[in-house]
This record gives sequence, structure tokens and C-alpha cells, in this order.
Amino acid sequence: MKKFDYLFRNKLLVLLFSGAMSTQAFADTWYDDIAVHGFATQDFFHTSDNNVYGESDDGISPGLTEIGLNLSYQPFDRLNLSVQGLYRRAGKVDGGIVRLDYGVADLTLLRFESGQLGIRGGRIKVPFGLYNETRDVAFTNPTIILPQGIYFDRSRSLLVSADGGSLYADYSTEYGDIGFKFNLGMPLGDNEEVLSTILGPSASGEFEAAPAFATQLSYELNGGEYVFAVSYMNLKLDYKPSANDFLGDGNTKIRPLLFSAQYNGEKFGLTAEYLYRWNYYSDYDVIPDFSFVSESWYVQGSYRFLPSLQGIVRYDAFSSDIDDRSGKRSQANGLPGHMAYAKDWMAGLRWDITSSWMVRAEYHRVHGTAWLAHSDNLDSSETKQDWNLYALQLSYRF
Amino acid sequence: MSDTYATDIVVNSSVPEYKVSLNKTRAIFTMRQRFWPNGEKIKVFTLADDHPLHQVFTKNNLHMFPHQLRRVWDRITFSGIGRVPIVVGSEEEMLEKVANTPNAIGYLSNEFENEKVRLFISQ
Repeated sequence: MKKFDYLFRNKLLVLLFSGAMSTQAFADTWYDDIAVHGFATQDFFHTSDNNVYGESDDGISPGLTEIGLNLSYQPFDRLNLSVQGLYRRAGKVDGGIVRLDYGVADLTLLRFESGQLGIRGGRIKVPFGLYNETRDVAFTNPTIILPQGIYFDRSRSLLVSADGGSLYADYSTEYGDIGFKFNLGMPLGDNEEVLSTILGPSASGEFEAAPAFATQLSYELNGGEYVFAVSYMNLKLDYKPSANDFLGDGNTKIRPLLFSAQYNGEKFGLTAEYLYRWNYYSDYDVIPDFSFVSESWYVQGSYRFLPSLQGIVRYDAFSSDIDDRSGKRSQANGLPGHMAYAKDWMAGLRWDITSSWMVRAEYHRVHGTAWLAHSDNLDSSETKQDWNLYALQLSYRF
Repeated sequence: MSDTYATDIVVNSSVPEYKVSLNKTRAIFTMRQRFWPNGEKIKVFTLADDHPLHQVFTKNNLHMFPHQLRRVWDRITFSGIGRVPIVVGSEEEMLEKVANTPNAIGYLSNEFENEKVRLFISQ
């Protein structure tokens, strides 16, 4: 993986260099066919208890850095090629390497007067809810920390992108625009954080993701003044036990269903999403087969005091098992009950200094620890149920 | 500012003449509609988000707000699912681009004189 990342980094430089050369060497038509965009974000965190993105407890952690660079090229009308490299360093969960975030060949198969139908192949972003496809791009996110009951950061590797194919369709009518995506591919979910999230810190084997599908149907009115979407995913992780593992070669299936609604007015904005997620654990031998349902929802309101100054408030709730909302199962296993839930009140302020520079700050009052990353909080018995989180973000884009 | 001048949607003379509804016009600028009825790829030009003319155009011609367009364009730019409009630096450049790019669409304030550019009829 490391070697691949290194190779990719060099390739990206070559691509960029050749892109820059061609814009100089050729006339305007070439310039119009190539587009280069990028972003860089640095976040700072402080918490009263518990760690997020490094050691934030009673200190300030500069633990989240995200830098992306993308290039898109249109060799002919029906074909678009795009690639994005992402550098990400996130506390102890993500060590700071460059990855291929997406690399997509997009071919339009059918053109209608009111839309198109096409296919995409390569490494494709996973459509899930309102924010997942651009979850690492600060400018496109409503807050520094996305609602964690839905956009988990610690198990993000299952959600960011997948290697495979996608069928998509766009259709515009007088009564709004309809979009559809069906993606089939291999999620990149192989990190330790996913393992400890699902099987606990004592599991010593490895997870291998099976091909998964993700689909989304969206409906937008008035050019996006109202947005509605339904997303569904079907993920399966096969467990490969280590030599003396107490667990058998079982598997875990995760099936999230997400409903999204958004209003984008001139000044006022209102967003809500509701997640219902089925989880199935099978064939782990020592653990009897079982299943449970997780639930999360949030409501978020925003107001633009000025075109460049926006205030935002959100309430976000997550229960990892709707039949055990207080965490009795965690307690029976000697873990804190508050690992089973998280309720997060947040308020923030965003200032778009220019169209390229943005700074924002936010405060979270959190009850519960369900979405804390294990890598940043190795001893869960030391985590606290009620805690404060302060975050500051500086971001640049072009 | 919005009282002082009006904007018109304009196209290159190569674009077929046909009447388009407001929603179809929005679909062109939000990149959902990517081809003209004759099958040619639409080339969309725009001014920067904070350009006064862009703000007037967004409100008066699309009945939208610049941040709504930005939301849609950013999603395309950073998820690898297509192309966004090409940003030009000035109104003069907009006229020059729309005049010299086949299948182009853009917007201009009031009068312009160029036989290769005509008004786009949106209802």
C-alpha cells in the first residue's frame, strides 16, 4: 500500500506538470478541456475530556489535516476522466499518507433532451446522504465535525470510496430534478479502527470487505432549494481470524438506510437526516449469532447574517442498539454504558473570508461516547459521559 | 446593485433555437443537462461567485442564490462526477468566450453587439 501511495504521488505530480505544460502550450480549447482544483484544511481541537483527533483532552490538538488535489480532463464529449489525490492525517486513526481518493472514467451512454444515462468505472466516491461524497472537503461540509452518528469518521474507510462501477441517470422535469446512482464495488475498509469498532479491541484477526453496493435516489426542486434523498448500502465484512484467535471466521453485515431532506433558502437553511441501520453478526463461534438495529438522526438549522457569515445549530443523536439505548450490554461486558449512545448539541460560526479562504469555529456539548475513536481513547473505562469539544478550522480552496 | 442592470442568458449562434423552461435552464447551469437537443455538449461559462453580474444573473434569470449553485458545483468538482462551468474573469471575456466557443452558453448585461452571440429564450 505504501509503495502504491508513493507511486501515485509521483504520478499525480507528472499529471499536474503535464497539465500545466499543456495549458501553456496549447490554445484556449485545451485549457477548457482540463480543470484542476484543490483544497487544504487544518483543524484544531480541544476537549474537556476524551480525545478526538489526537490528544485534545486538556490540550490543543492540531490532529486533522486534509489536502486534496484533483484533475479532470475531457478527451471527447461523452467521456470525462477525473482523479483526486488526498493526503489525510487524523489523530491516531489515520497516519498521514497520500491516497487515491477517486479515479473515475465517466461515459455518457444515452443523451436525452432532459437528461442523461451513463456509467462510471474506477475508484468511485460512495453516494450516501447529503455529504458523504465530499466529506473531506471542508467547504462542502456544514460543520467541522459532520454528524457522527451517520458520517462516522472512525469507520470512514468503509464509506469514502470503492473500486468498481456505477450506473447513473439524471432527469429534469418541470417538477424537479431526479438523480439515481447504483454503485457496485470493493470498499476500501481494511483499517484497524473498523475492526475495533465492530468486534471490540481484543479481536486480533483482520477484516476483508466483500463487494458491496450503494444506491441513492435524489429529488431536487428549484435548482436545489429543496433536496430529498434516500440512500441504501449493503456491506459485508469477512473476518479472518489470527493464529490463536478466540473468534471463528465469521462475518458482519451492515445495511444502512438513510433518509435526507434539506431546505436551502437565501438566508435560512434547514437540514435533517434519519438513519436506520441493520447489523448482523454470524459464525463467530464463541459469540452466538445476533443482530441489532442502530439509529441516528439530526436536525440542523443555519442562518446567513451576511452572505459570507453563517451561524449554525444542530442536535444529533445516535443509539448503537435501539433495544439497548442505555448500554446494558456494554456494562455486562465490563465497558461503560455510555459507549452505546451519543447526543451532541452543537453551535458554530462560519466566515467565508474570500471565495478561496474560510475560517470557522464550533462548540459541541456531547452526552455519550459512542463515536469516539478507539485509537485515540485506548482505555474506554477512562472516557467520560459528558464532555465539551471546541474546534477551529482554516481552509483554502481553488 | 440588482436594480441598476439586468442580465440576459446568451448562447453561441451554433446552438439550436428552441424555447426552454426555467427549470431546464437551471438544469443547464447546474450541469444536470449536459447536451443540447442536437446532441452537442453544452459549454457553460460563468463569472466568479462574488461578481455583481453573477449575483444578478443567479437571482433574476435562474431565481436561485449563488450559494445554491456553489453547493451543486462543489459536489461535482470534488467527487469526480463531471465538470463545472468555466469561470471567466470579466464580462468582456464572457462575450469573447461565448462568441468563439461552439455550443457555449453564458450571460451578459444589457446590450452587446456580436453576430456570433444571440439571446437564449428561457420562459
